Amino acid sequence: MEIKYTIQGLLIYATIAVYLLAFVATAARQARAGRVSFFAGFALAVLSYAYRWYDVQHVPLQNLFEIFLFLGTICCPISWFCRRILRIGGQWADMLIGAIVLFPAGFVFSAQPMQLPPALQSWLFVPHVAVYMLSYVFMFKAMFQAFEQLMIAPNAERTSLPPEQATYELVAIGFPLLTLGLILGSWWGKLAWGDYWGWDPKELWSLASWLVYLGYFHWRYMFGKIHPRINSLWAITGMAAIIITVLWVNLSRLFPGLHSYAT
Amino acid sequence: MIRFRRAVLWAALIAVILLTALSVHGAFLGADRAQAFFNSFPLAVYWLALTALLIVGLVIFRRLLQIPSLLLTHLGCVLVLLGGMWGSKAGHAMQRQLFGLDKVPKGQMMIREHAENSRVMIADGNEPRQLPFSVRLREFRMEYYEPGSLIIRSRSGQMWDLPAKAGARLSLGDALGRISVQKVFENFKLRKEDGKTVPYDAPGGSNPALQVLIERPDGTATAGYVFEQFSPIFTEPVDLDLSYRRVVRDYISDLEIVQNGQVAAAKEIEVNHPLHYGGYHLYQHSYGEDELGEYTVLLVVSDSGLNLVYGGYTMLIAGVVWHFWGRRALIAIKSRRMIAPRAQQELPAAPERQE
Repeated sequence: MEIKYTIQGLLIYATIAVYLLAFVATAARQARAGRVSFFAGFALAVLSYAYRWYDVQHVPLQNLFEIFLFLGTICCPISWFCRRILRIGGQWADMLIGAIVLFPAGFVFSAQPMQLPPALQSWLFVPHVAVYMLSYVFMFKAMFQAFEQLMIAPNAERTSLPPEQATYELVAIGFPLLTLGLILGSWWGKLAWGDYWGWDPKELWSLASWLVYLGYFHWRYMFGKIHPRINSLWAITGMAAIIITVLWVNLSRLFPGLHSYAT
Repeated sequence: MIRFRRAVLWAALIAVILLTALSVHGAFLGADRAQAFFNSFPLAVYWLALTALLIVGLVIFRRLLQIPSLLLTHLGCVLVLLGGMWGSKAGHAMQRQLFGLDKVPKGQMMIREHAENSRVMIADGNEPRQLPFSVRLREFRMEYYEPGSLIIRSRSGQMWDLPAKAGARLSLGDALGRISVQKVFENFKLRKEDGKTVPYDAPGGSNPALQVLIERPDGTATAGYVFEQFSPIFTEPVDLDLSYRRVVRDYISDLEIVQNGQVAAAKEIEVNHPLHYGGYHLYQHSYGEDELGEYTVLLVVSDSGLNLVYGGYTMLIAGVVWHFWGRRALIAIKSRRMIAPRAQQELPAAPERQE
């Protein structure tokens, strides 16, 4: 546990506090107060990300600290997109996700600025990482909906999309981003290391994540909504594979590889 | 036919689950062993079976042929698999046997400055292989982020990072005093001037160093030199561990391709910017120095199958994006257009303005 007594740290802690406030307000049925707090938290997250950008002099997506900072920033706009465009509920979960993903940035990972190694000095660096992060937030939201589907009564009254359908909508938005991330990474690998596929642990875990969602679509095509619980289990397994790809592969000594600099 | 289609669907699902499990297994092996594993004979059978399954799927499911996004997605996967197999070691062996194409799949090439080489060392091969052209290294150089850092560690474990530029100074607290950088050397050398040993920055070569002054709280001062490659030298012992660190920004090899005695191509290659010539990509891979001087190590990779893979990637992403985003967006826009006039008809008439 590392507490950051810096402007960067204070901005992150303030964002976490405001996101949690938004969550509590929404849970207490103060929807408007919750929404206002969520946007205030987003403004703080943007400030925190901009501060980091100014500090390191490059787009901060290099290591896990910066990745989680980015995830905490994009939660709110993605939540807004899901509510307004996709008609998917669960904003309380987005507020919680925002606080959860900022926790490692605030308390676990070092904020020591680092210069970009030669391999990361590519125009593909930002799109490759950014589309993956966007897809992860959609898949994380899909996992929440899948859990909700597993827990709720089938005929519960709802104003938004039912969780099984919402899970599908979210995975359908996240999957092209996941595919784009995989392909951009492969292309970048070819330019930087000479191979478009290096059988590196990170690559294999990201392929496994992609394949789980591919399996989800095939399963859902075969059985539709006959087995909604199994549909949800596919989505949850996919997110579990993503968590392993992002965290376990980078932090564990079990998986030494070319992506080790991303810790 | 319905049963056959059902069987193909199940086979596709099982193939996906199997590849997921194999990927997880491969991740635990490490990159080198995983590469050997995924190129082994049983896996070659799996890749062929998967490709055949995709082609069978395209033939028997009319939906895959009628919906362009699904066609692009599945055909893209087929191209990626074919390209991957064509560019593999086994694929290169097959190209040699069937078509007489004798390309080096992958290897490394060491070149000294101003020298020329066409021999490629293969990782698991005994004999070096010849490229159909030579590569000449005009210059190899490394670039660094400016400024570097003077890393200071106290005996109690405190650590500071001071920019390595002349005039930079830092207070280390009441107990340790102050430290400052007096001068930065690119290539530190010593010479005798009027009977005294004097440091100077010699042209060429590389021996980066910092001239440092430590001012203690009692008013005494110690001067010394902190080197990037060697231990620091001070006129008297100091209570600090000091090191000079520079971060590499880039490795650059200035190359010329020589074919039939003529320079056919030239490029400064660096990480992320390889040179493509004669069916090969040349990458900046490593570097070194020995008694004969500096040298660069290039990675030489055949481009066999690469266009198929990239074509497959393009089709795959185009198919996936169109299927999940484009089609749905189009449907949403169309349904809005259909709803909008109907909604307008249903709206109550606006009240007339009363003057």
